[in-house]
Amino acid sequence: MQKEIVIVGLNHRSASIEVRESVAFENAYVKDALVQLRAYPSIQEGVILSTCNRVEIVAAASDSQSACADIKRFLGDHRGHRIPGSLEEHVYTYEGRDAIRHLFRVAASLDSMVVGEPQILGQLKDHYDFARQAGTIGTILHRLFHHSFTVAKRVRTETGVASRVVSVSSVAVDLAKRIFDRFDDKTVMLIGAGKIGDLMARHLQSHGVQSLMITNRTFGRAAELAAKIHGSPIQFEDFPRYLKMADLVLGCTGSPEILVDAATVERVLRERKQRAMFFIDLGDRRNFDPQINDIDNAYLYNIDDLKEVAEENLQERSNEAEKAESIIHEEVLSFTRWISSLDQVPTITALRQRFDEIRRKEMERSLTGALKDLSPQQKEALEDMTNAMINKMLHSPISRLKRNTQSDDEEGTLYVDALKKLFDLTEK
Amino acid sequence: MDVILLKLTALLYLLATGSFIVYVFLVRESISKLSPLILAVGFLLHTAAIGVHFFQTGYPNVTQFREALSLYSWVMVAGFLVVQFNYRLTILGSIIAPLAFMMTLAAFAFGAGSEKLPAGLKSYWLAVHVSLAFLGNAAFALAFGVSIIYLLQERHLKHKKMTRLMKRFPSLEALDRLNYVLLVWGFPFMTLGIITGSVWASIHWGDYWSWDPRLISSSIVWLFYGALLHGRITAGLRGRKAAVLTVFGFCVVLGYFLSGGLIFPSRHGGRFE
Repeated sequence: MQKEIVIVGLNHRSASIEVRESVAFENAYVKDALVQLRAYPSIQEGVILSTCNRVEIVAAASDSQSACADIKRFLGDHRGHRIPGSLEEHVYTYEGRDAIRHLFRVAASLDSMVVGEPQILGQLKDHYDFARQAGTIGTILHRLFHHSFTVAKRVRTETGVASRVVSVSSVAVDLAKRIFDRFDDKTVMLIGAGKIGDLMARHLQSHGVQSLMITNRTFGRAAELAAKIHGSPIQFEDFPRYLKMADLVLGCTGSPEILVDAATVERVLRERKQRAMFFIDLGDRRNFDPQINDIDNAYLYNIDDLKEVAEENLQERSNEAEKAESIIHEEVLSFTRWISSLDQVPTITALRQRFDEIRRKEMERSLTGALKDLSPQQKEALEDMTNAMINKMLHSPISRLKRNTQSDDEEGTLYVDALKKLFDLTEK
Repeated sequence: MDVILLKLTALLYLLATGSFIVYVFLVRESISKLSPLILAVGFLLHTAAIGVHFFQTGYPNVTQFREALSLYSWVMVAGFLVVQFNYRLTILGSIIAPLAFMMTLAAFAFGAGSEKLPAGLKSYWLAVHVSLAFLGNAAFALAFGVSIIYLLQERHLKHKKMTRLMKRFPSLEALDRLNYVLLVWGFPFMTLGIITGSVWASIHWGDYWSWDPRLISSSIVWLFYGALLHGRITAGLRGRKAAVLTVFGFCVVLGYFLSGGLIFPSRHGGRFE
């Protein structure tokens, strides 16, 4: 009986963060949940993938429709009460080829919120391991997941998808990484306690920055933000004195005048023994003197520069994404071929059996009836002849079947299905 | 035998060059391991070639220009492989591999066959002096490569251009530090090379110092690198200026190495004749 892959789940596009958080399965609970999932008769194999951006249940089932319904019931029973309204409206389902494609895209980080981010593959591997330990993995999902790891690797090595980043603040971090080798020994100065500066400072912290100074015209706001994100607040009048300690300087005040001029930077760099400084001007008006970029070992990017770089990345990325999609397409075909080849062998055996059965019945009837006077030699010859007839008749359909499942996509499964229906093989 | 080995070496260096180019410009991650591997195989053949030559002639092969070139590129590739092992700076290979290829190729251009070593030069001092001087120069060659990459990366950042090539480059900080490390290693080697050379000269030529063009230029280069190192340590000479000076210093070394003997006749061996 052919098994199909089904995926039921929700992700950052289909559901809000609140919904995703309430549906998510904590790592400690995943194995218990898997055992309960497996208890549904329609589910033969199952994996639960749960990250902060997605919760998906991947299953192998003989009847995909009842499997989808069961998975939805499972999610509703376990998680339905946690969210307001119906779970149904946040959930998508994929079956067969679409499910395979979806899983491959997830593994290759094409379905991620930040396309190309590398964490998803590790999370996929972890959840695959949970399912293996829980004993809910069989031949099909084993093969499917390992295939998806290979796909992810191919996409990473053969396309540039993984090396692209998009948002302005990730572009800034990406640029900073080209100037600085490591962030944990760097100091960031944030001038202006605005929203975007706050975001970028957090982003830098997540990349290892430990030391953060915050200054603002209203000291209270600097102190407030500093308390929130573990920085140290400094008085606005004092910030030029602290400038020499800063490797990255983020300006995001609405101030109409220039806060740091080129002469100051030159002096500060001398005091720093020319250790590089990266200025990022996030303000609507210029906070930093544009000439700073002309000074050796000082780099200045303003918000428009960052947007431009992000734009370039985006354009480059769409080409790479196309390349990645064609890899996915190829791999989906190769996996479907494997699945249908699983089905092909039992079909061929069943077909032979069916023909042989008919032959034996008819032989028996004739040999006990009209042909009962035949000599043993003649009986044997008759046996051989009928056998040969059947073999010759079956030869070309069977070899055709084998060829098709190896070479082509849809046709292979088509013939298998047709044979099953024509000769009523499914009941066996 | 050694000539065939050297030819194979040149071929592998050429292959490595090609594969580094593919790595850099086509952004093929998959060959990031292959390129240094090809270079390493070339290096082993090169080692064999130099070894065979050494056993056939019985002295280190440095007195002729072609021998010196071959040995120089050998030390340089060894240096790169050490750097690659410690810092994973595959991109540097794209500068070192073509340089090594051209130097081995040039070694053929200057004739085959080895003449007998002048009796006066046969001494252990030769091996010591040449090894030290070459180690120093190889470190400077690598520093040259690192500086070129630094300058490219710096230019991209200043002009706010993000290209695929740039993704291959390490951070400016890492490049600058590596440049410093190579200078710190190269300078003592060069110093010791000059000292041992001077001792050897006193044995064979009878004086520690003579106003020979090669000796003068070596001293100038030594002073230059010394000043560079001093500037880096005390005066915050780093980044673009340091990279430019490193490139300049190596050009002087290379320039003299290739043409010095032509312009100013010298009794020092290992030059174009």
